[in-house]
Amino acid sequence: MEKKTKKKNMVSTKPLSVRLYTYRWFYLMFIPVLAFMLVFHILPLTGLRYMFYHYTNAFNIKWIGLENFRTLFSKPAFWSAFVNTLELSIIKLLLNTFMAVIISLLLNEMINLVFKKVTQTIIYLPHFMSWVVTASVFTLILSTYSSGLVNTLLKDMGIIEIGEEIEFLASSEWWRFTYYLINIWKDTGWGTIIFLATLSGISPELYEAAQIDGANRWARMRYITLPSLANTIITVLILNLAKIMNLFESVFVLKNDIVTEVAQVLQTYTYDIGFAVVPDFGLSTAVGFFRSCVGCVLVLICNYISKKIRGRGIV
Amino acid sequence: MRKTVQRILAVTLAVTMLTGFGACGGGKEESPELTKLTIMVDNTVQFADKLHAGSEFEAELEKLMGIDIEFIKPDHSGYYDTVSQTFAGSPDNWPDIVLLGSTYYASYAASGVLTDLTEIWENSEVKASGVITNEKAVTDCLVDGKLYGLAPARGNGCVTYVKQSWLDKAGITKVPTNYAEYTAMLDAFAEISPDGYALTSAGLINEEAPYVNYLPEFFQDAYPDFYRNEDGVWVDGFTQDSMKAAMERLIEAYSKGWIDKEFVTNNTANARNKFYADKCGVFTYWAGTWATNLEERLANSGLDSELVALEPIEEVGQYIERFPTVWAITSACKNPEMAFDLFFGTMFDGGEGQVVWTFGVEDVHWSKQAEKVILSTKPVTILDFPEGEFHFKADLETGDAQYMKSHIDPILSYATFKEGADVSGGAVDERAAEVAQMFFNNCKDAPTIAANSTIAVYQSEIMRLRIELVSQVAAGTISIEDAYARYEKEQGANVKTVLDSLNGK
Repeated sequence: MEKKTKKKNMVSTKPLSVRLYTYRWFYLMFIPVLAFMLVFHILPLTGLRYMFYHYTNAFNIKWIGLENFRTLFSKPAFWSAFVNTLELSIIKLLLNTFMAVIISLLLNEMINLVFKKVTQTIIYLPHFMSWVVTASVFTLILSTYSSGLVNTLLKDMGIIEIGEEIEFLASSEWWRFTYYLINIWKDTGWGTIIFLATLSGISPELYEAAQIDGANRWARMRYITLPSLANTIITVLILNLAKIMNLFESVFVLKNDIVTEVAQVLQTYTYDIGFAVVPDFGLSTAVGFFRSCVGCVLVLICNYISKKIRGRGIV
Repeated sequence: MRKTVQRILAVTLAVTMLTGFGACGGGKEESPELTKLTIMVDNTVQFADKLHAGSEFEAELEKLMGIDIEFIKPDHSGYYDTVSQTFAGSPDNWPDIVLLGSTYYASYAASGVLTDLTEIWENSEVKASGVITNEKAVTDCLVDGKLYGLAPARGNGCVTYVKQSWLDKAGITKVPTNYAEYTAMLDAFAEISPDGYALTSAGLINEEAPYVNYLPEFFQDAYPDFYRNEDGVWVDGFTQDSMKAAMERLIEAYSKGWIDKEFVTNNTANARNKFYADKCGVFTYWAGTWATNLEERLANSGLDSELVALEPIEEVGQYIERFPTVWAITSACKNPEMAFDLFFGTMFDGGEGQVVWTFGVEDVHWSKQAEKVILSTKPVTILDFPEGEFHFKADLETGDAQYMKSHIDPILSYATFKEGADVSGGAVDERAAEVAQMFFNNCKDAPTIAANSTIAVYQSEIMRLRIELVSQVAAGTISIEDAYARYEKEQGANVKTVLDSLNGK
């Protein structure tokens, strides 16, 4: 009985050499991918050993065991960066997803196809702008001086007085709000693609039936569109939740000395340690490893949630 | 057969041992002959790239040194990132020679990546030649009494430039000589400024020593790093009363609109651009050639280019001269003696080599031929030079100004030319020389940079927090008391460890 089950689960009964020969062209095609993975993903993992060393340069590498972790966990700046990473990433994710859903729904309601396509193209564009350029543009737009479009508008509209200009990027109170806003501007358009694809898959018959039953636009959106979109929203949230520890470029180009307490995240913290006057590569590796562990746990949690909700995992 | 094998083995063993003894008996192992010199440079070696005829510059030096040269010139903004990444990697990939700013030089010397040149210098032809006439070229480079590099020129420092046109507009006839007059001028400038601020700056504290040279009037006697006090005891300058007083002044400067509120997002390039765009009337920047550069850029922007270089106000007393940038030989260099002789022997030969390092390559970067140098300013500037007159050529990259130096600024140089070897005939830009002289007359050396293996561990994070706190205090985000409470909480123990190590406890 046991033997039968085993046989059932086997892919092939042929010897390995025969299978290798049969699928030789597939294996050949796989070699570049394997080589890429080994060289760029697996080989660098050997560098993880440096988290157990005090390492400032090639002549100054000393085994210190777990000392780097002890140092790290005793630093308030590290915990502040950890909390900031979670807060910034999760809020950004929720806001971006929410805005992408709203805009997708609005785009879906557009009747004029040409206008819809043009709008889509325009809102996709910021996604292709590098973060360095985005930061430069917003630094100008949000300037407190005459070049600052936003403050000038606020003053002209009488919302703020002259001399009360808002330091959007150089004040702890405003920085996060500004950061979320810039992220929404940059990535919402791109985020709508997957939702629009789902929306286009909803059967028009459902809407026709609802219309015949007297449902207005709002009711159709509430009872047909949103439930149809729910699964996709959850999928997108779960998939992105696994990536929330990867926050660097956007923060790096927008943060400054005044807002460090609210803006420093684990990856920028790693950068600061690794590119200091006297770099500490051991400590920065330890931060990187900690970040990877948290990321790994998040992926497993997401996988579990995904299995519960969608019936299948993400890994 | 067995005997034969035994004999062969015995003979082989004996030969091997003898060879081994021979090698030991030879004393010091002979350093291998260098076939190439790799040199890592910042943008202060202006001609070491394609934009400025780098191949001609390199070829000329190769001819003089008699060895193949490879210049490695990373992007200026990421220079020290590249240097630290290089030193973190295998020594096989390190350059033989590297150019380092004072803070980095002291740290790297303390951490063992630079060759101790004390003995090589003592026995060198460069020392014997007497070309280096100022002993500071050596004394400024001593770390714990040992020499790890040589400085070709003084470190220079910053002076405060004020636009004459703004003084006229504000009706100020006498340049400020004390803090009260200085702030009164800033007040008047803020009133007439298109954006409401009088002076701009890239940050408040630099990451590199002497840290406070861009805002001397506000920092005055404050120094935010470890220094030896009058009693010879190392103290943390950040916790001294002078620093607290400096923070009070910065708070006032920020709240009254004297200083550009975007100081925190400025880098040096856009701070300069704001000055060129006439957004402000005061800018503290490098003395010497930069005096001419700033005036030329203002003129190119169609503005009144006259600048007044302020003598230090009463409360400042003296501007700070930073420690010079240093050329060092890395520990990975296979033959430091040879590298020293070739490299420094050319840089300080008092003749052709020194000319290349000071002015560049003849007929590429400078010339004595009769010619018209055309500058792409608006309107176009044509400079007519007669035969035999030394002059720099137009900048090959921008075309709107003449070159002013190769690497060694002739005004700041520690080395002298042999008789008749100075192709410029001692001619330097008058305005640059005038401002440099004012600076020399009114400057003091920056405090000695503290360097040992303990400080190397903590210095970066301590300094990072100081910079952050000063910015936050100035912008009114936190109070001075809260800043010091945080400093004590986060870095108090580290500061104590550093001070104990410096004071030998």
